[in-house]
Amino acid sequence: MKRKCNILVVDDEPNVLLTYRLILQRQGYEVCAAISSEEARRAIAEQEIDLLLCDLSLEKQENGFDVIELARQKDPAIPAVLLTGYATPEATEHAQELAIPILFKPIDIREMLDTISELLKEHYERQHKAAG
Amino acid sequence: MRVRSHVPELIGKGRRSALRLLGIERSEEIFPVLLEEVVALGHPRALVAGVNFENSEITPVASLNCSQTFLQRFHSSLFAMETPAVQILHSQHPAHVHSRSKRGPEFYYYPLIYRNRTACWEAERSRGGKCIAVENFHCHLKLQLQQQVCGVCEMRAYAAMAVVELKRGADEGDLAELRALLELANRYLSRLFKVEHYQNRMVDLETTITQMQTVMESMTDPVILTDPQHRVITQNKAAERYFRLPDEVSEGRVRAVELNNLLFSAALSSMAVSGGDSSRDMTLVDAIEGDEVLFEAVSAPSFAPDGRRTGMVSVLRDVTDLRRADEELRANYDKLRQAEEVVRQDRDRLNLVIENVGDPIIVCDRDAKSALIDPLAQELLGSQHGRSPLHMRNQAKLDAYITKFTYSFSDRESAPLQLTHPGTLQEVEYDARSGKIYDERGMVAYTVTVLRDLTAVRRLEQLKLERRMLEMEKFAAAGRLAGTIAHEVNNPMEAIKNCIFLLTDQIRPEAAPVYEILKGETERVARIVRQMLGLYRNTDQVGNFDVNSVVEDTLMLFTRQLERAGVRVEKELAVLPPALGSADQIRQVLSNLVVNAKDSMTKSGVLHVRTRLVSRDQLQQSIIISVADSGCGIAKNMVNTMFEPFVTTKGERGTGLGLWIVKGIVENHGGKLRVRSKVGKGTVFSIALPAAV
Repeated sequence: MKRKCNILVVDDEPNVLLTYRLILQRQGYEVCAAISSEEARRAIAEQEIDLLLCDLSLEKQENGFDVIELARQKDPAIPAVLLTGYATPEATEHAQELAIPILFKPIDIREMLDTISELLKEHYERQHKAAG
Repeated sequence: MRVRSHVPELIGKGRRSALRLLGIERSEEIFPVLLEEVVALGHPRALVAGVNFENSEITPVASLNCSQTFLQRFHSSLFAMETPAVQILHSQHPAHVHSRSKRGPEFYYYPLIYRNRTACWEAERSRGGKCIAVENFHCHLKLQLQQQVCGVCEMRAYAAMAVVELKRGADEGDLAELRALLELANRYLSRLFKVEHYQNRMVDLETTITQMQTVMESMTDPVILTDPQHRVITQNKAAERYFRLPDEVSEGRVRAVELNNLLFSAALSSMAVSGGDSSRDMTLVDAIEGDEVLFEAVSAPSFAPDGRRTGMVSVLRDVTDLRRADEELRANYDKLRQAEEVVRQDRDRLNLVIENVGDPIIVCDRDAKSALIDPLAQELLGSQHGRSPLHMRNQAKLDAYITKFTYSFSDRESAPLQLTHPGTLQEVEYDARSGKIYDERGMVAYTVTVLRDLTAVRRLEQLKLERRMLEMEKFAAAGRLAGTIAHEVNNPMEAIKNCIFLLTDQIRPEAAPVYEILKGETERVARIVRQMLGLYRNTDQVGNFDVNSVVEDTLMLFTRQLERAGVRVEKELAVLPPALGSADQIRQVLSNLVVNAKDSMTKSGVLHVRTRLVSRDQLQQSIIISVADSGCGIAKNMVNTMFEPFVTTKGERGTGLGLWIVKGIVENHGGKLRVRSKVGKGTVFSIALPAAV
């Protein structure tokens, strides 16, 4: 691994965002935190992101799916994890269609970290194969 | 010349003739002997022509020395008045007829008719009756021959004409001699005629007596003729059985007959005293069979023609059967009266029941015509006196239903019926329930229809539904509120939890217990939040699942906890069809119930979990899961509120959401939750879930 993996964390709760960032950083990830979809878009545009950790419900009726979709326009294979406190069956179904794991708040941090490392590993292996 | 009443003295030849005539005993022998004696007097020929009163013809009945052509002259009729012979017959005067030619023969015509000096026996007896024989003898009347019938004994007289051709040169002496002979013959004939008439009467009487005896004998009832002293004159066979001493004498029979006679004689005496026709019952003993037979004796006095009382005629009628039938009839009548009384009481009781049922009742006959209508039904259908169009419409609707039912093959039926109440003008929904009453032949005798007013039931159902809707809405609203709160709590919780995670390994050892409390309590809050949100997640799969395995899973999960609490687990699982719903949610329901059960049994106890299948019909099957504990039970005042959110009996240990969630999940599954509890004995929760079709 030539560089640290860059994870974009999107959550409209500042304290939650901060603690996620601290936890992930402690795990040795590069973390880019976005408090809004606006910031998230900017980050996607400016930086190279390896994984998205995104709250489902954002401010101003914005939606975690929108952010992930935007990121996938740039990199269709980008792994993403959805976090939610309250998931409708439709949202759950949608996430399954897009092959996005969905985690329910209060989140088991161990489970979250395992999921992230798993996804990154898969993603790296796929890229490696594609690169030959 | 008139016929003399005295007979001239007969002398010589005359005496011999008289003796000859006297020796004759039969009337038909008179004329031949007479003619012989006439010819013996020297007259050449003679004949007798008789009158047949049936056809008024006159024909010769006896003749001597007469040719057929000569006799032919005397064939005539009573109506041929121009004939001299007929004229003489009518006038009853003998006539000496001379021939037209001087040398021609002369004839003597002598009319013969029934006459006697003494009247017949009947006329004598009736005193004053006019006997034809005497009438003719005295020639009081100029009689028509056609009327020659005795007014007393109805005997028809005879009439004839003797015709004698006189010998040549017959003088007055010859004529007198001839006349005396003819007169004598007529007198003898009359006497013989009278005797023969009596003989005939006697034969007739004998015939009548025989006939009467036959009639009497052929009567099956005893008939007895007694004299004024009540001695039996005659009796028929039927009477002999009771009153005649039998030939071979047995003491019993003799006594029976004697007793019968005594009884009969006593009855006759008393009837004779009472006078006139009378009847009397008496019991006689059948001398042969020995049975007692009840007779009704009807007696009538008999009288002689002169009005003398000659005795009594008694007819005994065997009325044993009649009386027995009468008694039976009376007994049956009494029974009938009693039965009628029972029926009347039953009817009164039934009427009382009908009046107090409070629902309209209509009883119809086999033709679906109303036979009995209670006052409530009358309100709907109207009475015969006043019927509005509404009444008629109700009646038509009801008739259609009852007619259909009456001719259907079913014994009972129920159907909804919309009738309009004439008082309130409101449509009322009735549940018409009908049954049939059969007669002894198994035919429909009556149908009974009870109309149950469903208004109250419907209102109750509506209320229940509204209440349930309200409950569900409340539950939903509370759930939404809880969800919102939980969601709001969730984010700070997330931050706190993350912080605790970040602080791991950075706590000074002396602060470690405090950190543990912080961690534990935070986890508890997380649990509550998760439970509150759990209802609304609905993320697990909905489909067919096996209730029994969910029960097994849940119990396995709690095995250790239950063991620690000293609770013995009893399972009773039936073979079940799959249920439709969420296995996870049902697992949550069972977990909550098991935990509650465990918590209620503080020392030890039995947890009984049972599943079974209840079939209402082919389409509606319910799976019943019951969780029973032998714990402390639930206080009555808690039963109504324990399904509401945040109501708990466990104090700080409970969230107050468990049963609320249980109820919510069960109802979301279209199921029903029931609880039975007795303080100090235990609690049973039963969940009814619809089975997957």
